[in-house]
Amino acid sequence: MESFIARYRNLVVLLALLTAQLVGLAVQVRRTSSGLNTLDSTDAKGVRLIRLWANAVISPPERLIHASKIGVIGLWTNYIDLLHVRQQNQDLENTVDRLRLEEAALLEDARQGQRLQALIGFQQRYIFTTQAAQVYGSSGSDRSHVFYIDKGARDGLKPDMAVITADGIVGKVRDVFPHTAQVLAVNDATSGAGVILEKTRIRGILRGDASGRLEVVGILADERIQPGEHVLTAGGDLVFPRGLPVGVVEKVVRDPDRDAFIDILLKPAAHLDRLDEVLVITSTEPRFAPQEQQDLAASEAEQGSVPTAIKDQMKASEVMAEKLPGLADPNLPPDQQPLNDSTPPNPAAQPPQPLHADEFSPDATDASGAQPETSPISKPKPKYPSASPDASGSSGAAHPGAKSKPQATPRRNP
Amino acid sequence: MSVFGAESRRDMEIHRYPLLVYTLVPLVALVLQAWLPRVVGRYSWFDLPFVVTVYFALARRNPMEGTVMGSVMGLFQDALSHHAIGINGIAKTAVGFLAGSVGIRIDVDNHTIRVLLNFALSLLSSAIYLFVTRFLLGLAIDWSWLTELLRAVGNSVIALVLFPLLDRLQIKD
Repeated sequence: MESFIARYRNLVVLLALLTAQLVGLAVQVRRTSSGLNTLDSTDAKGVRLIRLWANAVISPPERLIHASKIGVIGLWTNYIDLLHVRQQNQDLENTVDRLRLEEAALLEDARQGQRLQALIGFQQRYIFTTQAAQVYGSSGSDRSHVFYIDKGARDGLKPDMAVITADGIVGKVRDVFPHTAQVLAVNDATSGAGVILEKTRIRGILRGDASGRLEVVGILADERIQPGEHVLTAGGDLVFPRGLPVGVVEKVVRDPDRDAFIDILLKPAAHLDRLDEVLVITSTEPRFAPQEQQDLAASEAEQGSVPTAIKDQMKASEVMAEKLPGLADPNLPPDQQPLNDSTPPNPAAQPPQPLHADEFSPDATDASGAQPETSPISKPKPKYPSASPDASGSSGAAHPGAKSKPQATPRRNP
Repeated sequence: MSVFGAESRRDMEIHRYPLLVYTLVPLVALVLQAWLPRVVGRYSWFDLPFVVTVYFALARRNPMEGTVMGSVMGLFQDALSHHAIGINGIAKTAVGFLAGSVGIRIDVDNHTIRVLLNFALSLLSSAIYLFVTRFLLGLAIDWSWLTELLRAVGNSVIALVLFPLLDRLQIKD
C-alpha cells in the first residue's frame, strides 16, 4: 500500500485535491425548487473564512500597488513629465516677446499707413503746393519746441515756410539744411502767427507760453469770446495762409500785465506732441484741378462780358440821340442828359408832413419854444435815433442821455 | 536539440529557486491579476496565476508541485471572486499536474515549446472551467470561446516575456 502511494503519489495528490475541491463545490451549490442549480447567496462559514484569508493576503499588496500607482502617476505628472517644462516655458516666453514686437511693428506700420493716407488725401485736396516730410527728431529740450524733418533745401524748402498737418498748423521752417530742416513749432514762446476767431472775427497773435501751451495774446477783453470757438489763421503774417485751423478756445484768462487785455488759451488742432508726418507749404500759388480751372476761366469770361454790354448800351444811346435830337437838353451838360442819366427814374417820395405836431414829431421841442429853429427848411428827424447810421457808431450815440438831449448844432439841407 | 528525449542530463535538470521567489512571484501574480483589470478594463485577456503555475510546473518538472501550485492559485482566484470556490482551483490543479507531467518529457528551456504549451494549457484550463461550471455544477454561465482564445494568446505573449525573466531568478549550480 505504501509503495502504491509512493509510486502514484502525483496522481494521488491530484485526485485528493480534485476531490476535495469537488466536495467543496458541492457544498456551495444548491438546487432550487425550479430544478436549477445555484450558488448560495450567503457563503458558508468555511467558504467565508477562505475568502477572508485570500482577501487578507491579496488586499494589502494590492492597495500598496494602487497607492504606488497614484504616487508613480503623481511623480510622472508632477516631475518627470515636467522636466523640460522650464525650457519650454522659456522658449514660449521668448516666442511671445518676439510676437509682441512683431505685432507692435505691424500696428505701427498700419497706423503710419493710415496717417499717410490721410495726409496724402489732404495734400491732394489742398489748394497750395506742399511737400510731405517725416519728423525724425526734436531739440531734446522742453524749453525749445523745435523739431527736425527729413526734407531740406534740396526738396525746395526755404525759411519761414508754413508747416501744417491735415488737422491744423504746426509751425514754420526756421533753418534749412541740404537734406533736413528745423521747424519752430507754434507752441514755442518765440513763435508768432496772426490768428482770427472764427465767429467773433477778433484778431490776435498766436504764440506759446513757457509750458508749451498755445495762447492768443493782444486781445481786448470781450465777453463774446467763449470756450469752444474755433481759431483760424488770419493770413497777415506772410507765413500761414488764411483759414487754416489753429485750435479751439479752451480758456479765457486776464492778461496779468495789461488789465484791459485777455489771453486765450487754445487746445491745438494739430497733435503737436505726437507729430510724425507733416506738410510744408512750398508755394502759395493756388493750384487748381482741371474742373476748377475750367470754372475759373468761365467766371473770368463772364466778368469780361459785362463791360462789353455797357459799351454796347452806350453806343446804342449815342445812335438814339443822333436820330432823336429832341431828347437832348442843350442846357444840361452831356453827362446829365436824360439818355445818360443813371439815377432811378422813380425816386422815393418824401413822407407827408403831420397835420399837427405832437411829442413824437421831430420838431416837438421847437414847437414848445425851448429851442428856436435856425434853419428855414427843416429836415424830418428819424423816429428812433438808434436806427440811424450815425447813432450806431461810438460817437456819443451810446450815451443814455443822447436820446432826449436837444439838437444844438444847426442842420443844413443836403 | 531534443524535445521529448529525457535521457540527457540537461533535459532532466530541475530548476531551483529561492524560497522568496516561490512566495513572491505567485503572490505578485495574484495581486496583479486582481489589480490590472481595473487599469486595462475589458481588455484583460490574461491570467497571470495560470502563467506562473505553468512556469513553475514546467521548471520544477514535478507534477505534484505543479498540482499544489495550481490548486492554491486557483483557490485564491476563486476566493477573490464571488463565484464558488474550487472551479478555478480544479482547472488549475489539472493544468499544474499536466504541465509538471509534460515538463519531465520536454525541453523546458525551449521558449517556443513553452509558449505553445502555455497556449494549449490555457485553452484546456478554460475548457475545464466550462466543464465544471456548466456540467458538474449545472450553473448558468456566459461563455465565449473567442474570449478564451484571446486569453490564451494573451497568456502566451506574457509567457514569452515572463518566462525568460523568471529564468534569471533560478539558482545556478
